Amino acid sequence: MCLRPAGLLLPGLANPLRRPYTTNSEEEERVSALAGRVMRGERRAVAQAVTLVESSRHRDRRTAEALLARLAAATAAPTSSSSCLSRHPTTSTFRVGISGPPGVGKSTFIEALGMRLVEREHQLAVLAVDPSSARTGGSILGDKTRMLRLSNHPDAFVRPSPTRGTLGGVTRYMSETIAICEGAGYDTIIVETVGVGQSETAVEAMVDMFLLLVSPGGGDELQGIKKGVMELADLIVVNKADGDLADAARKTQFEYQSALKLIHPKSFDWMPRVMACSAATGKGVDDVIATFEEYRKTMMETGELWRRREEQKRQWLWRLIADELVDRFKQDPNVQQQLGSLEREVARGTLPVGIAAERLLDLFGHPHQS
Amino acid sequence: MSSRVLASTAENEAEWKKRATKELKGSPKHEGKDPLESLSFETPEGIRMKPLYTPTDVAGLDLTTNPYPGLFPYTRGPYATMYTNRAWTVRQYAGFSTAEESNKFYKQNLAAGQTGLSVAFDLATHRGYDSNHPRVKGDVGMAGVAIDTVEDMKVLFKDIPLDKVSVSMTMNGAVLPVLAMYIVAAEEQGVKQALLSGTIQNDILKEFMVRNTFIYPPKPSMRVVGEIMAYTSKNMPKYNSISISGYHIQEAGADASLELAYTIADGLEYVRTGMAQGLSVDNLAPRFSFFFGIGMNFYMEIAKLRAARKVWSQLIKEKFSPKDERTTVEAMAAVLGGTQSLHTNAYDEAVGLPTVTSARVARNTQLILRDESGIPKVIDPWGGSYMMEKLTDDLANTALDIINEVESMGGMSSAVEKGFPKLRIEQVAAKRQAAIDSGEQVIVGVNKFRLAKEEKMDVRQIDNTIVREAQIKQLEQIFAGRDKAKAEQCLANLTKAAAGELSGNLLELAVEAARARCSVGEISDALEKVFGRFQLNDSLVSGVYAASHPQQDLIHRIQGLSEQFLKDEGRRPRILVAKMGQDGHDRGAKVIATGFADLGWDVDVGPLFQTPAEVARQAIDADVHAVGISSQAAGHKTLVPDLVAELKKQGAEDVVVVVGGVIPPDDYDFLYKSGVSCIFGPGTRIPDAAEQVISSIKKKHLKSAVTAQ
Repeated sequence: MCLRPAGLLLPGLANPLRRPYTTNSEEEERVSALAGRVMRGERRAVAQAVTLVESSRHRDRRTAEALLARLAAATAAPTSSSSCLSRHPTTSTFRVGISGPPGVGKSTFIEALGMRLVEREHQLAVLAVDPSSARTGGSILGDKTRMLRLSNHPDAFVRPSPTRGTLGGVTRYMSETIAICEGAGYDTIIVETVGVGQSETAVEAMVDMFLLLVSPGGGDELQGIKKGVMELADLIVVNKADGDLADAARKTQFEYQSALKLIHPKSFDWMPRVMACSAATGKGVDDVIATFEEYRKTMMETGELWRRREEQKRQWLWRLIADELVDRFKQDPNVQQQLGSLEREVARGTLPVGIAAERLLDLFGHPHQS
Repeated sequence: MSSRVLASTAENEAEWKKRATKELKGSPKHEGKDPLESLSFETPEGIRMKPLYTPTDVAGLDLTTNPYPGLFPYTRGPYATMYTNRAWTVRQYAGFSTAEESNKFYKQNLAAGQTGLSVAFDLATHRGYDSNHPRVKGDVGMAGVAIDTVEDMKVLFKDIPLDKVSVSMTMNGAVLPVLAMYIVAAEEQGVKQALLSGTIQNDILKEFMVRNTFIYPPKPSMRVVGEIMAYTSKNMPKYNSISISGYHIQEAGADASLELAYTIADGLEYVRTGMAQGLSVDNLAPRFSFFFGIGMNFYMEIAKLRAARKVWSQLIKEKFSPKDERTTVEAMAAVLGGTQSLHTNAYDEAVGLPTVTSARVARNTQLILRDESGIPKVIDPWGGSYMMEKLTDDLANTALDIINEVESMGGMSSAVEKGFPKLRIEQVAAKRQAAIDSGEQVIVGVNKFRLAKEEKMDVRQIDNTIVREAQIKQLEQIFAGRDKAKAEQCLANLTKAAAGELSGNLLELAVEAARARCSVGEISDALEKVFGRFQLNDSLVSGVYAASHPQQDLIHRIQGLSEQFLKDEGRRPRILVAKMGQDGHDRGAKVIATGFADLGWDVDVGPLFQTPAEVARQAIDADVHAVGISSQAAGHKTLVPDLVAELKKQGAEDVVVVVGGVIPPDDYDFLYKSGVSCIFGPGTRIPDAAEQVISSIKKKHLKSAVTAQ
């Protein structure tokens, strides 16, 4: 197999020389030291680097960007593509998004899957997203996403992260977290989200394969899962196919297969599949891994895996631009001057929303006149 | 006679209202309102209690038709004569350190007036581990006595005639080896098993709900319960094969109606389990006993025991139609409640194991009630009280609704598998914690009339390293001296029987294994090979604590601290709440976790039964600011320093370590010196704890910037 270090996905940031991120040499030294430790796979450093990219503090953002740039520079060195038989760029890493409704047994599934992966000498990072409370901002992490054996395995890194209110937030730092983990040598990344809803779209936009986990539940279950989520899936796995539920699982598998026929496939090269397994007994889990490998091989040979990543990078670029623009917009002195009164007028109904938006946008980016 | 005395009830009520209204004049809360309404209040059970009860409240209740104890539905007591003829058994829960030490303590207590034994086992034993297992380093001999083989059991009951003294054993996980060793210890003392009297708790359902001292998953665990019932009903006619426990449900924060309902629903499930073993309800039910917790809510607790007898006897009659209704229902009721056997907790229970003094005070409390107060001379003195009869009826109805809900889910086993009762108890517990923290629910000395400085309490100290070493040495000797082939054969038989490849009762096979000097760990492992070890996977409630806290100002202020932290540090304060060792009491950890999350923290919840190294690893991966260790079972002096060392070893010495739970004040200095930043004893208010941990983090953790290492 053609092994090439993980391509780091930093649009416009791949070359640290293009733009100076560090303000002084002390800062540069710190970043360099951290990058070194991350690349050596030091657990504590990887965890701290993830904290850094998750941070909402302005100066941490700058440090994080510098760190990512360093990791990218180190790992994205050009390889002699002559040694690769494939016509397309390849990667040694594989990113899987796993989602499913509460109670479907995601953590048990990921534990079973993950233990097999590390036994096959993969380095696995599991990034789990737990919802923050909209009311208090706090969160409870790891109670629904608990992988006992995996979280103590030397070749695994399990990190729960709070959504912190906005899903946009997750998308933003999760891509960077993936980059950190890959920079640290983790070749398989699982991104887990709780529940069925908008978060799936966000996660699908940053992984190579999206797996939807469902329980044997028949037609009701099927209705509960939005068509939009099924459209995202490259693989649907019916869990709990054991004991009393084995028959129901088969039936559910069949139902999803029929339902998938009505959905326009996401890719020309891969027809989404439905499989059944039991994370509790381990039955069928090896088949899921075999399907991962088959999928990865197919998508790499056709170049689609790389195309997807390229597209994802473009999306990521635009997300960053959008986020940054909004930030800068809010900081703009001209905008700040008018924002309060225009907002009030809009709220009172004395000014149409469209006009207010246009006025504010017109103010943005001009030299400040006081 | 004046006309006022002869006035009708309606006239009297109007007159009373007039006077009450007059007396309430000037009270801002009550003035101008209907006194009956405005002086009413709602209990945590959702029962509306009035300031005054009159005959109209009890019109139509069944006590007006059957006011006799010893008769269906037994509301007034299971026996016709009750304490007027025979008082309750004075039974004090005890056990610690080695079998020798506990044996000495038991004999002292029996001499001082105690009438039955109640054995506390250490957590290693509960969870089916021998003392030499690496996961139980901090647990051996700490929260109970360490038992590895039948030799320990023999020492535990040395010079105590087991045919005369009834023994109650709190054991739910390792029931098979422990009961087997008790049987063999008696046998080798010369007492036939048919003569043994006492109780094994054997109530696994509540373990999955609140206490977590299980070994196997729910289904095989229920099978074990059934096989024990089958064995004892055949071989041990005087022995109670199960003690269905509401106590732990209450301790986990449940209100009276939840405790009552879940305990009775557990009981119904056990009847079904026994019947599946081929036993009849007439055979089974007389050997059931119930164990309720009695808290400070005076009226409600009395009503609870009265309602329990009534609901249980009615449901047994309705659901299982026993042949001999009288015997069955009466015998069941006979052992029901704290009424036939009473255990009083020692005053130092919240900080450690009872000392000789505290055990004496606890025991004498009972003896004074029994011998001095005159209370036992009248049967159910509350009978006929308008209030008590009405409250009993209301509580019974509230509980019946919950029982029906459980039954409609397919009984308690299914409900427990779905995790439903657990979540409901936790909700109530979080609410209660908010009420206590805010002072709405008064606990004298804790949240009201606090002393500026508490007097130091002497607490029994156990050196668990010595106990562990002694146990390990003895275990090695026993293993070296036994018939190896015989022991292996016994264990293989257990594994085969568990897998269904060999017929035979599991307890019977465990008795053989115990005779062959197989250990608790070996017998448990033999079954674990087939059954597996159960891992808890449950979710937490959130939002309840902050929402039900009456002091919203305080909540907002502490939430503000988290917001400020977020602004300063780029993320919320993050804490890992963890439990180490085999201590499964997770109520405290859960209340803290949900409370901190409600106060704006990111809270990682660690799994149960972790080693210090595992906790350190999780703290590092999640990059938390602090680790909060919840300890209820005395392992802190070994496990906490180990954790601090592990954090250091793994390069995370800047992580703040705080400890909460049952920590004797004498240990505080030791823990501070080991590197602990804060210690939170019983009665700590969660917002105060959150504030202190934030300031500890600021002091220690943030000195070193994220990357400066």
